[in-house]
Amino acid sequence: ESQSSSSTSTFDFKSYVLEKASSVNTALDSVISLQSPKTIHDSMRYSLLAGGKRVRPMLCLAACELVGGDQSVAMPCACAVEMIHTMSLVHDDLPCMDNDDLRRGKPTNHKVFGENVAVLAGDALLALAFEHIATKTKNVSSDRVVRAIVELAKCIGAEGLVAGQVVDICSEGDSSVGLEQLEYIHVHKTAVLLEGSVVLGAIVGGGCDEDVEKLRKFARCIGLLFQVVDDILDVTKSSEELGKTAGKDLVADKTTYPKLIGIEKSREFAKKLNMEAQEQLVGFDVDKAAPLVALANYIAYRDN
Amino acid sequence: TSISTTHFDLKTYWSTLIAEIDDKLDEAIQVQYPNQIYEAMRYSVLAQGAKRAPPVMCVAACELLGGDRRAAFPTACALEMVHAASLIHDDLPCMDDDPSRRGRPSNHTIYGTDMAILAGDALFPLGFQHIVSHTPSSLVPEDRLLRVIAEIARAVGSTGMAAGQFLDLEGGPNSVEFVLEKKYGEMGECSAVCGGLIAGATDDEIERLRKYGRAVGVLYQVVDDVLEEKMRSEDEKGKKGGKSYVRVYGVEKAMEVAEDLRARAKTELDSFEKYGERLLPLYSFVDYAADRSFSLGG
Repeated sequence: ESQSSSSTSTFDFKSYVLEKASSVNTALDSVISLQSPKTIHDSMRYSLLAGGKRVRPMLCLAACELVGGDQSVAMPCACAVEMIHTMSLVHDDLPCMDNDDLRRGKPTNHKVFGENVAVLAGDALLALAFEHIATKTKNVSSDRVVRAIVELAKCIGAEGLVAGQVVDICSEGDSSVGLEQLEYIHVHKTAVLLEGSVVLGAIVGGGCDEDVEKLRKFARCIGLLFQVVDDILDVTKSSEELGKTAGKDLVADKTTYPKLIGIEKSREFAKKLNMEAQEQLVGFDVDKAAPLVALANYIAYRDN
Repeated sequence: TSISTTHFDLKTYWSTLIAEIDDKLDEAIQVQYPNQIYEAMRYSVLAQGAKRAPPVMCVAACELLGGDRRAAFPTACALEMVHAASLIHDDLPCMDDDPSRRGRPSNHTIYGTDMAILAGDALFPLGFQHIVSHTPSSLVPEDRLLRVIAEIARAVGSTGMAAGQFLDLEGGPNSVEFVLEKKYGEMGECSAVCGGLIAGATDDEIERLRKYGRAVGVLYQVVDDVLEEKMRSEDEKGKKGGKSYVRVYGVEKAMEVAEDLRARAKTELDSFEKYGERLLPLYSFVDYAADRSFSLGG
């Protein structure tokens, strides 16, 4: 595996990931205190602090630092994108949606707290994400914070995560789903929020429009890459390794990249996306770009 | 006082605003791919005969403080979007399990539970997006928009309307006051406060609008409960689920509470008397909430 290019050879990605995840976890832990009603806040914390890899917050912080911002100015945005990611998982797992019992190896939110609380906890996380950015972002001009809020709103709604889930639900069991529709689903279910994470970080970090757009393209590529690799892993790995119900997409007769173009072509596509992503980082400070280069490689070559 | 004796045609003021708000909401949610979700969103947001009480309160509060109503419209629309979102989610089978709303099938009855959840999920962010992209920047500085967004997010969040809905479902009968405050008072409070924020109200004015809006929101619901209870005794029908103040404390006590809320809401407006006639919409709004002296919409 061509893990390292010359620019990343001296960069310790593993420590970087651990360090960022740890600061994000500390920040997230302090966001939701145990207020009344306790059950809703327990439920929000249960899913938010369930130990995800914090890929989105990390992208947000790395993009902020890449354009010259301090990590602290992007931390509220980093927490917000994780809240949005979490709320979309909580709602997608509901019985009336994907009906999943397991998430990250643990019972899903509605299994523990009931469907009504899961719906409300998701709604509350969504609202909290906006409140958190609006009230906790420090040392950033109001116009940049407002821009970040619009970006985040677009990621979630009928132009973003929701659109992906709607088309996904509507194409379930439909064997005529083509590559274009599959890509629409993945771009909207996964790529837009990864894109949003990067763009939010670049905006509050003080990036110019050109830098923001380059990073947007970078994120779009790795977003799709994330899903292509996910599809490949779903066919090649067992449930235990993945910590979720494997092969579920095939059982539910969902269209996946391997099903449409085969495993080999899917792998080639993943490689192409990774290259395209990394091309966007040319011209930035090599040391500051190292985390994003490594992150792209991690997404491309991860095995869970 | 002079205010209480001045006649004001609230019905015309309100109906005019309803028409404008309906147009703006219609424009804000245009059907595009994937159509189902936009249709589900439009179904609830553009429901015929909606009173648009939160938007109207927001516009009236903004105008009270000398703000331009064009500055308040986007936030007024956003309030209606997030309000619709929480009503859609409240009606779900796993919540109040209400098959109808305002005399027509509820959202999930038509579009399915999955689409209803997603329609709500899409309406919350659309509200925030709408405020930012439609508020004229020449009229409202960005730092005010941030306060408006934080206010709405807090109102619908885990200590606001979501908390009210949770206690409505899981709390005992003694949680009825909390449910009233959170599920209904919160929206009134948020609407009045947002209008004030847009117009650049002082902190003291915001606090008064906060108490005023909350009192009117709760008053509105208590009177709804009383009217519903009177209908109920006639043909023994009633809305399923939901905690009613009347059913816990009785009609007489509820009427007492309503009068107390009416007085409290008006007291909060006292310090605004210097604004003269601009105070009339908010003042008349209180009496409407209590008396329902005319009907709105079709």
